[in-house]
Order: sequence, then structure tokens, then C-alpha cells
Amino acid sequence: MAALGSFLLLAAFVVCSYAAVISVVGARRGSRRLIESGVGAFYLTCALMTVASAVMINAFLTGDYSIKYVVHYSDSVQPLFYKITSYWGGLDGSIMFWVFLLSVFGTIAVAVNRERYRELIPYVVATISTVEMFFLYLMVVHKNPFTTYLTNVPADGEGLNPLLQNYWMAIHPPSLYTGFVGMTIPFAFGIAALVTGHLDDSWLRAVRRWTMFSWLFLSFGLTLGMIWAYEELGWGGYWAWDPVENAGLLPWFTATAFLHSVMVQERRNMLRVWNVTLVILTFFLTIFGTFMTRSGVVQSVHAFGEDRTLAWLFTIFMIAILTFSFGLVIYRLPLLRARNELDSWMSREAAFLVNNWILVFCAVFVLFATMFPTLSEAVTGERLTVGPPFFNKWMLPIGLVLLFLTGLGPLLAWRKSTLHNIRNQFMWPTIAAVVTLAALAAVGLRQWAPLACFALCALVTATITQEFWRGAVIRRKNTGTDFLTALIGLVGRNKRRYGGYIVHVGIVLVFLGFAGNAYKRDEQVQLKPGQQMTIGRYTLRNDGVKLSDDGQKQMITAYIAVFENGNQIDTLYPARWYYQKHENEPTTEVAIRRTVAEDLYIVLAADKQGVATQNATLQVVVNPLVNWIWFGFGVLAFGTGIALLPERAFSFALAKLPAEAATSTAAFLLMLLLGGATLSAQQQQQHMGPPPVQSTDDVRTSYYARTPLERQLQHEIVCTCGACGHANIGECRKDACGVSHQMRGELAAFIDQGKSHDEIIQAFVTKYSSEEMLGAPLNKGFNRLAWLFPYLLGAAGAFAVAFAAIRWSRHPQSTPEAVPPADPELEERLDDELRDLD
Amino acid sequence: MTHRYIKISVTVAVLLLAFTGLLWSTLREGTEYFKHVDEVMTNRQAWEGKKLQLHGYVVPGSIYRKRDSLEYRFKVQNNPARSSDHGSVVEASYTGIVPDTFKDEAEVVLRGSLGSDGFHTDPNGVVAKCPSKYEAKAGIAGT
Repeated sequence: MAALGSFLLLAAFVVCSYAAVISVVGARRGSRRLIESGVGAFYLTCALMTVASAVMINAFLTGDYSIKYVVHYSDSVQPLFYKITSYWGGLDGSIMFWVFLLSVFGTIAVAVNRERYRELIPYVVATISTVEMFFLYLMVVHKNPFTTYLTNVPADGEGLNPLLQNYWMAIHPPSLYTGFVGMTIPFAFGIAALVTGHLDDSWLRAVRRWTMFSWLFLSFGLTLGMIWAYEELGWGGYWAWDPVENAGLLPWFTATAFLHSVMVQERRNMLRVWNVTLVILTFFLTIFGTFMTRSGVVQSVHAFGEDRTLAWLFTIFMIAILTFSFGLVIYRLPLLRARNELDSWMSREAAFLVNNWILVFCAVFVLFATMFPTLSEAVTGERLTVGPPFFNKWMLPIGLVLLFLTGLGPLLAWRKSTLHNIRNQFMWPTIAAVVTLAALAAVGLRQWAPLACFALCALVTATITQEFWRGAVIRRKNTGTDFLTALIGLVGRNKRRYGGYIVHVGIVLVFLGFAGNAYKRDEQVQLKPGQQMTIGRYTLRNDGVKLSDDGQKQMITAYIAVFENGNQIDTLYPARWYYQKHENEPTTEVAIRRTVAEDLYIVLAADKQGVATQNATLQVVVNPLVNWIWFGFGVLAFGTGIALLPERAFSFALAKLPAEAATSTAAFLLMLLLGGATLSAQQQQQHMGPPPVQSTDDVRTSYYARTPLERQLQHEIVCTCGACGHANIGECRKDACGVSHQMRGELAAFIDQGKSHDEIIQAFVTKYSSEEMLGAPLNKGFNRLAWLFPYLLGAAGAFAVAFAAIRWSRHPQSTPEAVPPADPELEERLDDELRDLD
Repeated sequence: MTHRYIKISVTVAVLLLAFTGLLWSTLREGTEYFKHVDEVMTNRQAWEGKKLQLHGYVVPGSIYRKRDSLEYRFKVQNNPARSSDHGSVVEASYTGIVPDTFKDEAEVVLRGSLGSDGFHTDPNGVVAKCPSKYEAKAGIAGT
């Protein structure tokens, strides 16, 4: 199965390269058939990736522990659901999942837009294929998820980290990836528009929905990450400005900016360079975010490990993206010139512009602060770090300004607002804000930041209500219906605008939740049995600590009684779970008492003596308004859903895209799951039998590796018997093969003599007077070339593709003399025969 | 036209200046030095009182906890316990809940400042990594 998987990846790489070349050639020659061929190859990549994903999921379900990746991220006792999600649980698999999603999205995008944007499609195919090529190349050369153990296949896996065995965590990465990968589609269309010079608004129409769709999933992914951090990590908060979180936030900022500035281009034909730039930046930031978290450039508590090769490959790719994309932008600058100028700063487009600047500034700032330790080390040699307080200090005022603009934008008119207009529009929202401010100040709130935030929330809400109200009133007058019908009709007539307003309501709710953070209380205590503590309006009493075991894990649970005004209102059970095989990494089971106003959040600290002494070591947090963040996201998703509805229809049933994209993706995954599940059922029965025979083989071999060095060498030295097809001597255990047995014996003897790795290799080289038996060439001198080979090959391949694309697509008339004198009869016959072949 | 360009460049200059100033001032308070125990202890006086993130390894058997409280005292050395040379050692104190991974030999980063009687760790200032194989277990974390 592993071999099949590797082969599929390789095949996908080849097909993808073909698609990239042939599309460019087809577009430049104007050949319909070549373009069609490219699109076909593009679809084929998707099919290949789907099968490869099925193979991977199957390997997880059936527990194919010869594959290293499967061993690392699953084991036999893991629930079915987490076996499937292990697919994207690690670095290699997540790259593969990335390519899979990209190929699916790309296929959908091309299939849907094929007729409408005919001139763009070949370049869209070429761009997406090139991105796929990069990731496939990564997998083929460096991070093949199908790498197998050649010897000593473990009987069971190591299991997924218990922290990740959480429902939110299972769906958080795919959602974030969907957002990330989806951003490639607008980028591809942008590049296609730049290359072809079709820089009117048509490419924007093609990508607007994709951006919204990806943006929704990006927001969803970020929210899920917050929920996971809040409920599972148990440190009392939801956002810590960790580099990994920031990586997801960066493209979110630029995508948000793009969604706004698109409207300015549509309405006023301005900001065209800016829009293209934003699309490129967003895509770049998705790649950069991946790079940041995968290569170990930035230290993070939960980044993947350090990997220099990967870092270099990514750096090259990112430089290529930037050079190529911005090179194109500069080349097309004359075509991108704006047709209008800003009339007044008191206009909606100006508000949008400022909003864009701030959002991009947010991205730049977060990027800067995240990279600051790395940057400072590179520049000064001192590793300086900045913590969450630094981020908060900056992002708090910026966030408030953004919130203010959210309220301001809809109140301003396009082009220029008159004074009368402003007075008319601003009266009610301003009153709402001032009244809120006064009321809260009267209640006794004193901190400026949350006060400002609450007042601005009121302002935005009032603005949006006013928009809906006035719109509905006018519509009722015009159509003569009742108010509610008018309201629905209003939303139906202009879904993007009113959907956007609903998204703003969601944002307001999220901001409410953020403001509540200012009133957070956090205490750490140790409570003896029966001892009490008071936090906010709650009094907590320790009613004992108990230990239980359910076979899979040991659970230490504290019984905490919660009192308010002397009455017991609840009992909370914060716990620690110690999973088997992961005893050193207990998971925190936070106990949360949720109310609309605030969460009471209790964490039990790891304290093994706790059971004996009955002392409970607790972190107790009161988080006001935190639930409004999750609720706000729900509203935001609803609003995006409305904005995503197709222009004509007012129902999901008639949705073309991306509602279709979402459902078909879901259906796709579901099919995979179902297919995999049946397979697993069959395979698991086979597993019930006696353990595989190979283990007895291992025992019979006298020279079983005793030390890590010996095992390593057994894998490096290849058997010279000639019958086994150059298996290494650790693996060549055929009965007939006395040679490997003898070689293992020699190796064991060398090890016993206490020789080092290099000495042994040298001894073998001398003995067999060649390097024939070395499984891998020595990493020094001339042999280093062999190590470089795959990378040189990759570079050569990239050049070859580019060369072929340019060379083949040269117009025939440019070299007319090179064409041999045509024989009309022969050509005709050739044509006929070719047609028959088709 | 030139008038307009002057206006734009002045605006840009003012904004840039204000921005740089703000960034500079916040960075001065906001940054912490990331240092290894050896680097700090070789020139102890120079680092006293500065905000630090101190990287090191918990000395085996050095963790003491005051009975029925959350007060900890422990020692941190520059090199892992496995290595032959342990490097400099510093006393550290902390009050609060420690992470699960905080134990003997654990690799830690402490946020706080150095005083004459040892390193004072800020509340929630202990970040500890698993003693072994952290990387393999890091697993997913979004992207």
C-alpha cells in the first residue's frame, strides 16, 4: 500500500507538471486542444490525490504500521474518528492534505468558471499546478508520508498526542487549511488576469466568492483554535499571540482588507493595483504561515520541529512567488491605472481605504512582532522576545479604530458626503454611543479601553440597525408590503451588502467578548478539604479529590462546590487525565460553568499527592462575556452565508458556488470516510488472527541489531547477494540468502571491536573494494553530489518546465523558415489519422 | 502637482516618524532578553533587574515546594542533566501552578528577573518542555 501511495504522489507530480506546461503552451499558441488537455491533466491530479488520500486513510484505519507516519500518529486503541483525523495530524500528512484540498478546489474552480472566463483558465490551471508541484516535490523528495520501516516494523503505533484527541482539534486544522488553500484560487485568477492582461473586473467576479468562502473557513479555523485553547489547554484564555496562531491571523487580515477593497474597485474603479497586491499578499502569507510553523524558524510551544531543508525549499519558493507576482504587477502597471481619483476624505471609499491600510498594518505588525526574536537575533545577535503584552498594547487601539470604521463606513456616502447627509446619518448612532458610555460610566466602569469598546459597539450596532430600518421603511413604501417582508426583500435584493452588515454584528459581538477580557480575574490557590475561597461573586469549596480508572486512562477529579450568595448553585469537576502510553502528558479537563455574562473556569493542576492529601491545587478564572465571542462567530458565519448566496436565487438549493464547493467537499470527504470504514471493518477482522510471521523471522536471525549504531549500519549497508534486489542487510532475511547473514556477522564483529560508524563503513568499502554495498552514498566529498541530486533535479525540472512552456508555445510564424515545405496531401492524411485517434 | 507631492510626503514622513517613535518606546518596555543561564551568570551584575527569559534545565532533585502552598524553589542549570558539564546554576523561585512538564531535568524557559537572591519568576512565567522527544509529540497545532 505504501508503495502505491508513493507512486500516486509521484504520478501526481508528473501529471501536474504536464498540466502546467501544456496549459501555458496551449494559451500562447491559442490551441483549444492543448488547453483542454491541460485541464484534463489538472482534473487527473485531483483524482490521483483523492486516491492517494484514500490509501493514506486506509493505512490508518487498517493500522498499517509499516508506514512510519501511521506509527507516529495513531495506535490500535484510538477511536475511529481520530484515526481518520490523524491523516493531517503530522507534518507530512498535512502537506499531502494541503495538496489534496488544493486539487479539489482547483478542479471545482476550473470546472465552474471554464466557460465564463475562458481566456483566464489556462493560466489558472498553470498557477495552481505550479503550487501543487511545489508541495508534491516536497513530499516526493523530502517528506514522503508513505515512508516505511524497512525492518523492525512495530506491532503498534505510538498514538496521537492526547491533547489533540479533542473534537475541536480534529476539525480545526482542516477548516484552517480550507481557508488557507482556498486563498490560492483568487491568487491563481489574479495571476491569470495579470498574464493575459484581462484586468477589467471579470477576474474579481470570479474570485469574490472564493475569497469569501475561504475567509469564512479561515475565521472558523481561528475560532476553533481559540475554543480548543480555551477548553483543552486550560490556561484560562483563548489567544496568546503564539506564532502558530498568528500564522493563521496574517492572511485573515489581508483577506478581510481585500473583501472590502473589492467593493471600491467595483463601484469606483479605483485601487486596482492594491487589489491585485492584496490577493498576492494573502496567498504569500498563507505560504509564509506554513513556512513559519513547519520549518522551526520561529520558536513556538506548538510548532512542528526544526527542519532546515524544508526551510530552504520554502524560502526559495517564497522568493519565487514574490519575484514573479510583483514582477507581473510592475509589468502590467500601465493597464492597472485607476480611472477615478478620490473625491473627498468624507466618502465611503476613503473609509474603506483607511480600513485597508489599518488591516494591512495589522498584518505587517503581527508579522514583525512574531518574527522579532528571529530578526533581532539575525541583526544584533541578541535574542530579544516580545510577549503578549506588547501585542495587546498595539492591537488594542488598532482594533478600536477598526471597530470605529466599521460603524463609520456605512454612514458615509460614496464619492462625497454632504454636511446635511452626515448630520442625518450620524445622529442616532452617536446618541447610542454616548448614552452607552454615560450609562457604563455611571455604573462605575473606569478603564478607558473597555469603555471605548462598549461605546463603539453601540455605535456600530446603531449604524447597522439604522441601515436595516431605513432600507426596510423605504422598501415597504415602494412595494406596499408589511415591514418584515420588506426587510427580507431588502436583504434578498442586496445580499452582499446586508450579509456584510450581519457579519459586522458578529464582529461587534466578538469585540464585546474581547472587552470582557479586561475584567478577567485569575487566581491560583491550594484548597485543603472543606476549605473555601472567594472569587468575584462565587465562593468555592473543595469537597475532595478522587482517583478513578476506565482502562484507557487514569482520572484525578476534584469535586468543587460553587456557592453564590450563600446558596450552592453548582458542583464543578475539574480533572486531569493520564492516558496510557502518555503518562507524562496528562490532559487538563477544564470545568466551566457557562453563563451569558461570564464563565467560571476551573483548572486542576497536576499534583500526584493531591489524591493522598485531598488537597486541590486550582487555577480559578472568571472570564466575563467570553461566550459572546463564540456566539459572534455564529452570527458572522450566518452573515457570510447570506452574502455568499447567488445573485439571483434566494435559496441555498440553487447556489452555484461556493455553497456547492462546500457541499461537494463534504460529500467527497464523507465518501472517503465511508469507503475507508468498510475497508477497515474487513481488515480488522484479519488482524484478529495470530501476529504476523515476520517476528519469528527476526528471532531466527542470529545477528539481530543490538545497538542503535548496529541497526543504523544494517540499514545503510546493502546485501550483495544479488537475489534480493539490493535490500539492506538488515532487511534481506531470505532463507536462501547466506550473504546477508554473513555480512551481518561481519558487522557484528566490527561492532564488538568497538569500531566507529565511519571505520566500519571504511572497512566494508575496503573489503568489497567498492561502495557497491552502501545503501546510501557517503555524505562527503564527491559523494555529496548524490545527496544534492534530488534538489538539482528539482531545480532542473522547474527550469525544464519553464523552458518547455516558453519554447513550445513560440508562435509558429516566428520561425517560418524552420518549417519544412508542407505537403498538403500528407498533412491532410495526418490530420485525419490524428482525428481518428481522438 | 508639486504642492500635492509635498503634502503627501510630509504626511508620510510624520506618520512614519510617529510610528517609529511609538514602536521604539513600546519595544523598549515590551522586549525581554532571551538568555541562557551561562550567559547571564558570567556577568551577573549586568543582568540583575532586567526583564529576562531564562533558558535552562531543571537540576534533578532541586525542586522544593513549601508544604500546603504554591511556593516553589528550584535550581536551573545551563546544560541538560545528561551532559558531562552542567554549566552555571542559578537559584529560582516561583509562586503559582507549574505546568505538568515542569519536573527534574525538564527544559524550561522562565520569564522574570534576576535578583541578588536568585531568579524571580513572574506569575505564569514557567514554560517547560518535555524532557524527551518533544518534537515527535508536538503534532498538530493548526498550521
